[in-house]
Amino acid sequence: MSQTIIKDRIPENELLMGGHLACPGCGGALAMRLVLKELGPKTIVVLPACCWSIIAGPYPQSSLKVPLYHTAFETGAAVASGIRAALDIQGQHDTNVIVWAGDGGTFDIGLQALSGAAERNEDFIYCCYDNEAYMNTGIQRSSATPWGAWTTTTPSKHPQATDKKDILAIMAAHRIPYAATASVSYPVDLVDKVKKAMSIRGTRFLHILAPCPPGWKFEDERAIDMGRMAVQSRVFPLVEVEHGTDWRFTMDPEHVPVQDYIRAQGRFRHLTDEQIGHISDAVDYRYEHLRDLAERSQAKV
Amino acid sequence: MSEQNFNTVPLHTPPLSVSSSSTEQNITGSWKYIQPAYHDRVAPCIAGCPTGVDIEGYMSLLRDGELSAAMELLQCENPMPAITGRVCNHPCESRCNRANYDGAVAIHAVERVLGDMILEEPLPHWTMRKHDERIAVIGSGPAGLACAYHLTRLGYNVEVFEKEEELGGMLRLGIPGYRLPREVLDSQIARYKAMGIIFHTGMRAGTDIGWPRLTTEFSAVFIASGAHVSRLLDLEGDCSRQSLRSGLDFLREVNAGGRPDIGKHALVIGGGNTAMDCARTALRLGAEVTVVYRRTRAEMPAIDEEIEDAAREGVKFEFLASPEKLSGTGGRLQLACTRMELGEPDAQGRRRPVPAGGEPLLLEADTIISAIGEDTGLHDLQAELADAKLAMNTWGCEKLARVFLGGDVAGDERTVASALGAGKRCAIYIDRQLRQQHGEDIPEERLEAIRIGGSESLSMARWTNSDPIMRVSPQNDVVQPADINTAYFPREPRHNDRHAALLKSFEESNTGITTRDALAEAARCYECGVCNECELCRIYCGEAAIQLDPGSGRFVIDLDHCKGCGVCTAECPRGALVMERLANMD
Ligand SMILES: Cc1cc2nc3c(=O)[nH]c(=O)nc-3n(C[C@H](O)[C@H](O)[C@H](O)COP(=O)(O)OP(=O)(O)OC[C@H]3O[C@@H](n4cnc5c(N)ncnc54)[C@H](O)[C@@H]3O)c2cc1C
Ligand SMILES: Cc1ncc(C[n+]2csc(CCOP(=O)(O)OP(=O)(O)O)c2C)c(N)n1
Ligand code: SF4
Ligand SMILES: [Mg+2]
Repeated sequence: MSQTIIKDRIPENELLMGGHLACPGCGGALAMRLVLKELGPKTIVVLPACCWSIIAGPYPQSSLKVPLYHTAFETGAAVASGIRAALDIQGQHDTNVIVWAGDGGTFDIGLQALSGAAERNEDFIYCCYDNEAYMNTGIQRSSATPWGAWTTTTPSKHPQATDKKDILAIMAAHRIPYAATASVSYPVDLVDKVKKAMSIRGTRFLHILAPCPPGWKFEDERAIDMGRMAVQSRVFPLVEVEHGTDWRFTMDPEHVPVQDYIRAQGRFRHLTDEQIGHISDAVDYRYEHLRDLAERSQAKV
Repeated sequence: MSEQNFNTVPLHTPPLSVSSSSTEQNITGSWKYIQPAYHDRVAPCIAGCPTGVDIEGYMSLLRDGELSAAMELLQCENPMPAITGRVCNHPCESRCNRANYDGAVAIHAVERVLGDMILEEPLPHWTMRKHDERIAVIGSGPAGLACAYHLTRLGYNVEVFEKEEELGGMLRLGIPGYRLPREVLDSQIARYKAMGIIFHTGMRAGTDIGWPRLTTEFSAVFIASGAHVSRLLDLEGDCSRQSLRSGLDFLREVNAGGRPDIGKHALVIGGGNTAMDCARTALRLGAEVTVVYRRTRAEMPAIDEEIEDAAREGVKFEFLASPEKLSGTGGRLQLACTRMELGEPDAQGRRRPVPAGGEPLLLEADTIISAIGEDTGLHDLQAELADAKLAMNTWGCEKLARVFLGGDVAGDERTVASALGAGKRCAIYIDRQLRQQHGEDIPEERLEAIRIGGSESLSMARWTNSDPIMRVSPQNDVVQPADINTAYFPREPRHNDRHAALLKSFEESNTGITTRDALAEAARCYECGVCNECELCRIYCGEAAIQLDPGSGRFVIDLDHCKGCGVCTAECPRGALVMERLANMD
């Protein structure tokens, strides 16, 4: 991974403006900037309630140089379906429509709208920037919060007791043409996936891990490091799946122990080594499962 | 996007609220208490190089495919890279930030390849005369050659006086040809001649050319007469025998082409470079060789690779043995040694050997070579040397000193690299001195500003204002391993140089690495501390606050919108960005 290649492969488009209201080190703000670099100016963003509702700026400001629709929390995929239909009627087939939703707006409250749109194979890209809790309203748990994590609604004495929902598998089960995980810490992989999604029609889904310094409790400057460790520890593998059946790993970076990732974050401070051992086992199990899927897909070709 | 006030919204307001201004008006930069700044810093290899070579600089040029610029930068500081690439103890590599990751960059091997290429090149056009002054250099070892080289490049007329018939000092008299082939040394010296340096061989300063003549005919004198007197071994018994030899004499004889008969078994006494060279040379003459040393392997002053190579070639070692008594009849010699153990550390921190008691160790040999060190022995120049030393203590400049000294004679660390650094340092002192005599004002701070990483080494590129790297804080800020983000450097083993099979011949024993491997090795360099426009800072900025300024070609930070998160600094692979506390926060 030579650095020259990284800069050569990130498009010049700059569609996010400074002065936005994200916290310092916010992975969600960077995720938007990188995704828009690839999408370019002919893009409409649909935004259900989330941190990004704030990052976009107070009325009458906007931090994006492309149109952005603020919509109700549960409606991202439904609104995008409508906008797509309107554009198509106008013959504007080359305008990208994307949903930009948090994990709460995707895994929880927005799931039925998303499922319906995916069932109809609506033609848009759905991006979930996943900071693993309801951050905008003050760090409440979501079904994307990992097991064992502290949030304000799952305090250290009663931390998150359920496993993170496997949203990629859920979307794959809808057999949409393209679904992938991505990370701000692997920008080339991220923009490549946006590019690939743009080349496909129908419902495309990107699950982007977006480290959140105040919500995960780590130092601002380590945001990229945190995203990198999530991938290196295999807690968040970088994969893509086409038509719900063809799975592929897109990155296989140097491995680091799950322990390193967990111990770097205050939200896991209360966990014992034994508990981290369980997390590590679960990570290995899921990784093996993904590897099986990828190998089976490979064998088919 | 224009700013609009609520009261002045046009009449045809759309049916839903539409933004009419951008967030750029929010000075979110006011949230921060620390801010990033681009600070080119000093790589540890450079700080560790006694010659003061801009290693990181030429590695970076090589990575960019700028071969001739790399060669020029290397030659700007180092007059003989083909030689140091072969014999330098490369302290740069032990300080390399990559050392504890996947192995230090094989700097010496890259330097050697570049050095050999330079020898093939025509001379660059930097040999213009600018000054009338003549400068005398005494001694043609690395210190003298370096001073002559740099002064010539600075435009002076330099004459070198060498008491031997041949040039090179210890490079020729001491270091054997299987480590430094004479063709390399000869073609390097031929280049100095081509530059216009005048060499007087067979001229001993103090006798063949007197001190008064030197100081009147020349505007400055640089003494680099080395250390050539073998220390005597203090043994009981008859030490006058043919077969007890001084290491330096032995090396001189063999280096000059002699092949003396030293019998079947040789003992070499000592643990320094001279001892290792004697041992390996004796091996090449067909003897079995044992090195006898008072301390242990860890205390041996010889260069590590030399010791390893000696052992690899079959030299045996008797550690903790101190020779006491010599006896024997006929050709055969017996050496009785006291068994030692390590006691308290001495002034240099090396543990002193003390007798351990018990039976003495008895060794037999046909030849015993004593290589326990060399002294300067410049008795005829004692007074002048004392004067010169005094002047040198004040950067060689406060008094209008005309005599300078450097290298082994000046008590510098006894390595080629230190001698080259001393020669350059004195060339700069002399240049400053002479220009000041012509009325130029060159304050002492100017010398401080060209020091590299707080070391003794001076940068010729900075002295001549030709440093291609515009360092913001050039002096003392050395990049530490923790400043490197290794995520951007996939592990890649270093290209080690190849050793010819154990031929025990006088051919060059280390065949180096290929040009291709050298370029690959240069690409392993982290390029510590100097921005090479990888743009990761800009890519990872969630505020879009870093942009490339087309004018200067450098990155500029929009501090009105930088919130001081520090991601750019943390992700910078090479420590070229630092977070600074805002002044108003203290
Ligand atoms: C056997 C041996 C092996 C070594 N191996 C290494 C090695 O692998 N790597 C390394 O870095 N270092 C090595 N060294 C050390 C290194 O060679 C010296 O530190 C270095 O050569 C010192 O340079 P110099 O210019 O100060 O002196 P020298 O190289 O000793 O040169 C001094 C010159 O001055 C001449 N001279 C003396 N007096 C007068 C006079 N009155 N008038 C005119 N000329 C005079 C001498 O003849 C000589 O040519 C080795 C040393 C020895 C002895
Ligand atoms: C129906 C409804 N319920 C609650 C809210 C309040 N609300 C706004 S944003 C948000 C949390 C969003 O969480 P997530 O989707 O994970 O995005 P994040 O803020 O973490 O980026 C909530 C609960 C709302 N806007 N609408
Ligand atoms: S709370 Fe987290 S996700 Fe939200 S703006 Fe701050 S850093 Fe970004
Ligand atoms: Mg969230």
